[in-house]
Amino acid sequence: MDTLRIYLKLIRISMKARMQYRADFIVGILAIIFINAISIGSISVVVTRFVDLNGWNVWEMVFLYNLYLLGHSIFSLLFWHFTSMESYIIKGTFDQFLVRPLSPLVQLLGREIQYLGFGDVIVAVTGLALAYHKLNLHWDVWQFGYLFLIVISAAMIETAIFWLFACISFWTGRSQSTFWVIWELSTMVQQYPIDLFGKWFRVLVTGIIPVAFMNFYPAIYLLGKTDQYPHYTWILFAAPFVALVLLGLASTVWRFAINRYMSSGN
Amino acid sequence: MRLFWSFARQSFQSRAMYRFDFWMEIISVFFSIYAVYWIWNTLFAQSPGSFEISLAQMTTYAVLGMAMETIFLPWIGPQVYISEQMKHGLLEMDLMKPVDFQFHLFARNAGETFFRFFLLFIPTLLVSAYFFDFKLPATFLDGAYFLVSVFFAYMILFGLNFLMGMISIVTINIESISWAYQGVLRFLSGQVVPLWMFPASIAGVLAVLPFQSIYYVPISLYIGELQGVDAVRAIAIQAVWVVVLMGLGRFVWSRIYSKMMVQGG
Repeated sequence: MDTLRIYLKLIRISMKARMQYRADFIVGILAIIFINAISIGSISVVVTRFVDLNGWNVWEMVFLYNLYLLGHSIFSLLFWHFTSMESYIIKGTFDQFLVRPLSPLVQLLGREIQYLGFGDVIVAVTGLALAYHKLNLHWDVWQFGYLFLIVISAAMIETAIFWLFACISFWTGRSQSTFWVIWELSTMVQQYPIDLFGKWFRVLVTGIIPVAFMNFYPAIYLLGKTDQYPHYTWILFAAPFVALVLLGLASTVWRFAINRYMSSGN
Repeated sequence: MRLFWSFARQSFQSRAMYRFDFWMEIISVFFSIYAVYWIWNTLFAQSPGSFEISLAQMTTYAVLGMAMETIFLPWIGPQVYISEQMKHGLLEMDLMKPVDFQFHLFARNAGETFFRFFLLFIPTLLVSAYFFDFKLPATFLDGAYFLVSVFFAYMILFGLNFLMGMISIVTINIESISWAYQGVLRFLSGQVVPLWMFPASIAGVLAVLPFQSIYYVPISLYIGELQGVDAVRAIAIQAVWVVVLMGLGRFVWSRIYSKMMVQGG
């Protein structure tokens, strides 16, 4: 409970620091909405022209995009600071975390709330609602429950992946640039149905960096596209388990890494 | 000119990348190329008639658009340098140099771009020629147009980035404005979706903005979509944008410079 209290206090402090640039805060939220609109818009331009892309129409792709974004927004609000891990290792400032009587993880994550995540939430909820309406979907309570579960799982999956990759910097001193690769991969998965990119890509984003569980597999079920993918069965519902396993793995690696961490100084 | 080379060389050397970062960047470029390659191939298989150009031209367009991002990367522009200097209160160091400010930043950026041109851009194209049907230009003239046009595109991008840098002097933090700026660049420049695929109304607006001169014009010249008079005209418009944007940058800078107070001076 104490940990939680300190975490919230840290968050408040970092929010305050952020609010120094109040104009940037508001512009930032608007910018995020704008970028997403542009990016959905340009997908729509292409897909509308060709009617559908690999059997997915415009609104199904809008759904796919925003399902990812909603999970991602939670990650980006609370766990974004994993992407800055590298600089703590390079500068040796990670040692500060180790000498204080509080979990280094909490100290690291308490450094930043990525407020741009609020923009993601706005876009994602709007996009999902629009798609739901345009696609004439009629879900029962369980399906809405499943949507909720998927969003939480998606956030956990993305968090665990970034957590794992942040751990790389304990060994190599660098991890920032690995995020570019994950970023590129995630963008592909977020924007397009992954079967578009061939079998090996599907293996990569299902089995190795499993971002496909954040939107693609759940969307097949939620959009009722099971006819189009008859050979997928249990995998449509695997996201929560993938999330748990990944989080377990990431926290194990993290603890292992901290135990044998040697600072960059001396 | 000697001054230019010394600044360019300096930034060339300081930016010699970490090997690890280099490989990660190469990998992400290839993912993005792989993605657009498959998207266009799938769409072409669905309805070959809707392209207005051949599949080979379309994939070449897509590959080139992604590969050019290695030299036109938004994270290395002068606006990043300016805003870093502003945040740390170091801009006065740049003011003390007996060199024109815009020229100084241009030389810096040119050095790094030069480096990236040979170490990232060219190798990416070579590999893409093998794996992703990236084709050489059909005629020597198309290739020559492309090279001239890429140079102008670089100058236009520099001009826009420099203006972004001016904004950062006023607002200090430009992180979020630059997110929006990059979104605009990526989608209104024709980097991913060629402009002729946009609805006519949007395409009309884009035609009078400078963004299309950055990606759409050089790439269209490369694949031979713009030819003859159209090609010359497109390059002339680019040249006009270079003059306008560089001039505007100088003007804004001189206004800011005369009013600027450096904190803690």
